[in-house]
Amino acid sequence: MANVIVNRVKEYLKQYPPFSFLSEELLQTVASEVEIIYFAKGEYLFRTGETAKNHFYVLKEGAVVLTEDDGQGEPVPVAYCDEGDVFGVRALLGRRSYVLDALADEDSLVYAIPTPVFKRILTENNRVNQYFAAGFASGQVVVKRDLSGAELATTGFSGKTDQRGLAIFSGQSDLHFSGDVLSCAVHETVGQAARMMSERKVGSIVIVDKQGYPRGVITDKDLRNKVIAADKSYSTPVKEIMSSPVITLDEKADFATLYLTMINHRVHHLILTEDGSDQSKVIGIVSDHDLLLSQGNSPAVIIKALLGSDSVNELVRLRDKAELLLEYYLENEVSIPFITNVITEINDIIIQKACELAQAKHATDYPGVHNLKFCFLSLGSEGRQEQLLRTDMDNALIYEDPPDPKADRARAYFQALAREVVSILARCGFQHCPAGMMASNPRWCQPLSAWKDCFGDWIKTPDEKALLHASIFFDFRPVHGDASLAEQLGHHITTMIENNELFLNFLAKNALLNSPPLGFFRNLMVEKSGRHRHKFDIKRRAMMPLVDAARLLVLGHGIIDITNTRKRYEKLADLEPNQAELFLEAGKAYEIFMRLRALEGLKAHDSGRYIDPDSLGKLQRQLLKNAFYPIHELQRIIRVRFQLDLLGI
Amino acid sequence: MHTPSFVDRYRQKFEGGPVYPPRIGDATFIILDTETTGLDVKKDYIISYGSIKVKNYAISISSARHYFLKQKKVGREAIKIHQIINVENALSLRDFVKLFLDDIENAIIVGHHIHFDIAMLEKAVRPLGLKKLLNARLDTRKLAIRLEMGKHAGHQFIPARDYGLDALCRRYHIPLDDRHTAAGDAFLTAQLFLKLLKKAKQKGITTMHDLMT
Repeated sequence: MANVIVNRVKEYLKQYPPFSFLSEELLQTVASEVEIIYFAKGEYLFRTGETAKNHFYVLKEGAVVLTEDDGQGEPVPVAYCDEGDVFGVRALLGRRSYVLDALADEDSLVYAIPTPVFKRILTENNRVNQYFAAGFASGQVVVKRDLSGAELATTGFSGKTDQRGLAIFSGQSDLHFSGDVLSCAVHETVGQAARMMSERKVGSIVIVDKQGYPRGVITDKDLRNKVIAADKSYSTPVKEIMSSPVITLDEKADFATLYLTMINHRVHHLILTEDGSDQSKVIGIVSDHDLLLSQGNSPAVIIKALLGSDSVNELVRLRDKAELLLEYYLENEVSIPFITNVITEINDIIIQKACELAQAKHATDYPGVHNLKFCFLSLGSEGRQEQLLRTDMDNALIYEDPPDPKADRARAYFQALAREVVSILARCGFQHCPAGMMASNPRWCQPLSAWKDCFGDWIKTPDEKALLHASIFFDFRPVHGDASLAEQLGHHITTMIENNELFLNFLAKNALLNSPPLGFFRNLMVEKSGRHRHKFDIKRRAMMPLVDAARLLVLGHGIIDITNTRKRYEKLADLEPNQAELFLEAGKAYEIFMRLRALEGLKAHDSGRYIDPDSLGKLQRQLLKNAFYPIHELQRIIRVRFQLDLLGI
Repeated sequence: MHTPSFVDRYRQKFEGGPVYPPRIGDATFIILDTETTGLDVKKDYIISYGSIKVKNYAISISSARHYFLKQKKVGREAIKIHQIINVENALSLRDFVKLFLDDIENAIIVGHHIHFDIAMLEKAVRPLGLKKLLNARLDTRKLAIRLEMGKHAGHQFIPARDYGLDALCRRYHIPLDDRHTAAGDAFLTAQLFLKLLKKAKQKGITTMHDLMT
């Protein structure tokens, strides 16, 4: 063997995770088995349906795009691979064939890493294992090394992961669900069901109708709580105590889908059916236990604990734990939609718990008004489901219009409630909003009619202050309480905007205030003065322009109930197919900025807003360059669409 | 004269049948480079040898070889260029030739200015009873000229310095690592060859016949 050549390959691989986790010796073994293949632009590395090759790929040079068929024979890009990215890992996951096409977008040199040698590593090296699991659990098809970089991945979480000792290389392949599902008919008795469960030594039974379609589930816990403790007869029909309706998915559902479905529906079992609906035959059952076993350290554990906790101290502890999870996810390149979904869910539960604790404390002091409906709103980034780090909290409270005589008492009650909630959130590590945009501020704790007037004023008189408020309050999202209050407010707002068309033109002008850093690469535009001199303000220069553009454009379509920036762009892509590509790119660009900011924030223990350009690697710069492109394009469209040049505003 | 069994084994590979398969994708290429004490085939000899194989348009790292030969005396000039003095694990001439012939078999020999390396290698195998190397051969320099300038480009129009290994590597975006080690240069040449083969394919050259003539 020629060490010069093997070393060359080794040195290259070593820069990138997961190879950076390997010992010199293992890496040597891997490197000496590599094949180097060159693909000309336009050639396919593999095609959908092809038998998975005996190797996976690392892109050494060039660009590869992974595409899937849109159903009409047109390829749709699913992921772009840059240098150092790992892809084509179906074989590694034990899958037989590829589900995507891999096309060389430029002349590309790839390293083919044989799977047999790597599979052995996966079973032996926990770190590598987790790295892959984190990626694939979130449904990623490319293991991006783009923004974390080898350095972070190797040093960032040392000492933490090794202790976890989990075998979580499950992704999709090691998740075992039981295909042999114990079931009984709806008219059977509880006694019979219990006997069947006991014989088969299982903790749950699916209740099916005549066609074999799932109607409910009974678990050990149901038998305990709803039969024995409730003193019911064993001849009670199962349908009386079963949990129903059941939540169903099909067997192709990946880990992330299963996971989020359980979290979102707060259920412990998912039924797999032939077509994924409850109108087809049962083919399997997955419990949260199965999922947890396959995932180890999981947000589900934290969420479950949060749901069960009833003290503020417990909330504080769990939110800190979530922060560690976040760090781990970010460093391991788990996809941003997955992370934000999990973190938003965790934050929302904390807010809900805070509301419940506050209600319990104050309700008795305010008889007569404590039953009024209210809705706690998250605003700004939390409202857009985009808060990763615990930055400032922005929130508000709406309550139903009380009858006049009770107005003062209602105000007093809800202000006390909101103050309590905000103080609990502050203890959980969410910082006070310096501009006071919190429900604890009496201005932002109002009955519905007052809120309608407030939004009405902003829309009718869009001065500077109104536009500033608009940028935060228009991204409201109901988190706790009666969501219909938020809906009524939303409806009022869209009607107001329709009747005051000029408002959008002002909003458009505002959306163009923050220009992206032109000449980023010739000379990075940095802040010229102040504490963050020579740093680049990623929030103002990159993220706000994208958020503002998305908000403006969906409002232009009369849509107020989608607040998430990526989802706004996806909706826009639907509504304006001829601009779809740009909108989707804008959504992706936003996620790139989010990840960079969050990583920066974790590193610097702040909001991550200011980035030192000198700390960026060459590839990060490259990535940013691509991400800036859609901003220019969007701003151009806005200028034309809202006729800003003509109006002279 | 009695020849060692590995020489016979090597010869047998060329008995009857075509020397290479019809399709480029099925052929085995061995890309090699030698570092020598100097440029005079009569006076100088091989210090080290590096090679790596390409098959089906892919370089396999496991096929990489790097051998050092035991030296009687090492010229000062060569030490200056290659910084090689006697190294551990250096092979006797006989051991080297055995490993070399067993490894190359009937692969197509590829290299930059390959005639020089072949001349040096033939000088090395001759004492073992093998007069000539029997493999087909391909020069990456000539291949690059042919692909870039056309088959019948006149010599006088070809700027020599554009077709050196350094210049070609730069033009084909191959980082110049480990230059002036036999294995390093063989690896660079292999990467260049891979890119040239692809370029040839795009020009419709997919058979060995077209590639070799």
